[in-house]
Order: sequence, then structure tokens, then C-alpha cells
Amino acid sequence: MTDLARIIAPVLIGFLFGFLLHKGGMTRYHKIVNVFRFTDLAVLKFMMSALVVGMIGIYLLADLGVVPNIPITPTYVVGNLIGGLMFGVGMAAAGVCAAPVAAGSGEGRLDYIIPGVFGMFAGALLFGLTYNQVYPAISKIANAGPIILPEMIDANHWLVIGLFTVITIVLFYALERAIRMRADKTKA
Amino acid sequence: MNWLVTQLRKPEWSPYVAGAGLGFVTILALLLSNGSTLIGGSGAYENLVAPVGLALDPKNTYFNFVMPPGITWAVWMLAGVFLGGLVSALLSGTFKWRKMPDQQWESVFGKSVAKRWLIVFGSAVLLEYAAGIAGGCTSGLAISGGVALAPASFIFMAGMFASGIVTARVLYRKKY
Repeated sequence: MTDLARIIAPVLIGFLFGFLLHKGGMTRYHKIVNVFRFTDLAVLKFMMSALVVGMIGIYLLADLGVVPNIPITPTYVVGNLIGGLMFGVGMAAAGVCAAPVAAGSGEGRLDYIIPGVFGMFAGALLFGLTYNQVYPAISKIANAGPIILPEMIDANHWLVIGLFTVITIVLFYALERAIRMRADKTKA
Repeated sequence: MNWLVTQLRKPEWSPYVAGAGLGFVTILALLLSNGSTLIGGSGAYENLVAPVGLALDPKNTYFNFVMPPGITWAVWMLAGVFLGGLVSALLSGTFKWRKMPDQQWESVFGKSVAKRWLIVFGSAVLLEYAAGIAGGCTSGLAISGGVALAPASFIFMAGMFASGIVTARVLYRKKY
């Protein structure tokens, strides 16, 4: 890859990512916190739509041989879970997230640009400095490495993708219906 | 063409549409990186702060070997995220310097800017530390791991929603 592509490609990907975060409402405090209060499910809709479209496209590219492989994030149950539990607290308390802090900074949010960005740096610094004491011990427990769900249940990946897609569509169809019915009832 | 301009100027899209768009972005990322990476947010902060970490602890394992200093792919991507947010906000006319969230926060936590900024700072520290332990954040683990069908993603999301629901409940109680 040329040096220029090494810069242009990630900037382009990031640009579209930030653009869509803003258009999806993900740079706003109330949008993020309200998914945890079940009063606005935009975050869930945004994430599930991205997952369905992404998994279909990514496995299609891999199966067609367009890309040599798919990067798989490693599974180490306790670390993934503890990290998720800590993450949810911060996300619900401040309504921020790593990438939305950058996208929201672009919208002129000083609470993202100053305490948000510096907090991220402080957290990264703290993690790096305590890495040896914390990470090896946690990531050792129930470490399955870079596995994927289809391997675990010994099924074809398209079966898993199909199932995930159907469940997502049914879930959101039911959710939208329930919300509409509730709205009709309050009107009547 | 007019339709496209109208859409780009809208301050908000349906989350289904924006989310599906993000799905296409992960596909594009896989293509442009030739199968080596998807999307992420938290890693860039680590590369950027690494010089400080090495100044404090020159032999540090993490900043020497795992996330060394440098203007990496992740850093360029995060710069792009900032630009994307900026351009979208400018196009839709929602760019504005502001110290506080637009709605809801003040009616629950009051008008204090110091309180808001302190909570954002503390939460950001926690988020970034948590992303280190989990192996990524909402984008680098939940989305990128999820589209690759990695169980790590779904375990992370379960934890994130469980503690998020409890936290929101504790902070809000009967307010708002």
C-alpha cells in the first residue's frame, strides 16, 4: 500500500463513520442514555442495523475471496464481560463513547473536546501503566482466542448470519408495533 | 441530486438508515485495509498518549510493544471521525460551540458546568480503561467483533447494556 493510501483510506473510513454517528444522533447525551432507560432505542437500532449489514457484506467478501481474511477480536470471557460492565457505567453516566467523543467534538461540544478527550487520554495512560498487573491475569481466564460463533456451534456461518438477521428484523418489527400501539393508546 | 442535498442537510437520519450505512463502512474498511482491520475508536487514544506513558515509564510493556506511539491507521481514522462529525454538523446547521448537552441533562443534574465536565472526565477515564480490558469499545469490539461473529462482541454488549441500565436507573430514579 502506498503511503498516501495509508492515510487517505483510514481518513475516508473515519469520515464516513463520524458523519453517520452524527446523523444517527450518537453524538447526543440524551440519545445514548435513553437506550438504557428504554425511552429511545436509537442506539440499539443503529448498532443492530450496522451488525446485520456488516456481517452479510464481510462474509460475502471473504467467501468470494476478495479479502484474504477477516480480523477476529479475541474472546476471553471474563475480560470481555468486566470491560463491558465498566463501559456501560461510563456510557450511561456521561452519554459518551470513544468514537462519538471525536464526532461530537466536531459538532462544537466543549464537554467532549476538553474533559472527554483528556479523560480518554488519562484512561489510556492508566491502562497502559497498569497493563502488566491487570491484563495478562484477566485475559488468561476462559480465553478462547479468535473464535467465531459458527465454529463454536459447528454450523455454517450463513446459518448464523441468517438467524441473526431474522431475529433482528422480527425484534424491531415487534418493537415498532408496540411503540405505535402505545402511542395510539395515549392519543385515544 | 436535490434529494441527496436534502438528505445531507438533515440534522438527523433514521437510526436504521445511519446504522445500515455504518455496516457498509465496516465492509469498506475491510476492503481498503485488505482484510486487516475494521473500525475502532479507543485504540487511537492509546497510540496518541503512548509518548507520555513512555516518558513516565520507559520500559512499559504496553506502550513499547502493544500500542506504541505513532500516527497509526487508528489515529487517522479517529481524525476522520472528527472531520465527519464536523462536516455533518456544518451541513445540517447544528454546529455550535456549547458547554452542555442540548437537552435532558440540566433538568436531571442541574446547570452546573463543572459537574457535567467532571462526570464526563471520570466516565471517559472509565470507558477507555474498560475498552483496554475488554479488547475494544463500542466500535472496535461491539461492531467490529459482531460483524465478524466473534462471541467477545456479544459478551461485551451484554455487560454494557446490563450495567448501563442499572446506572441509568440509579442516576435517574424518578426524575424526568
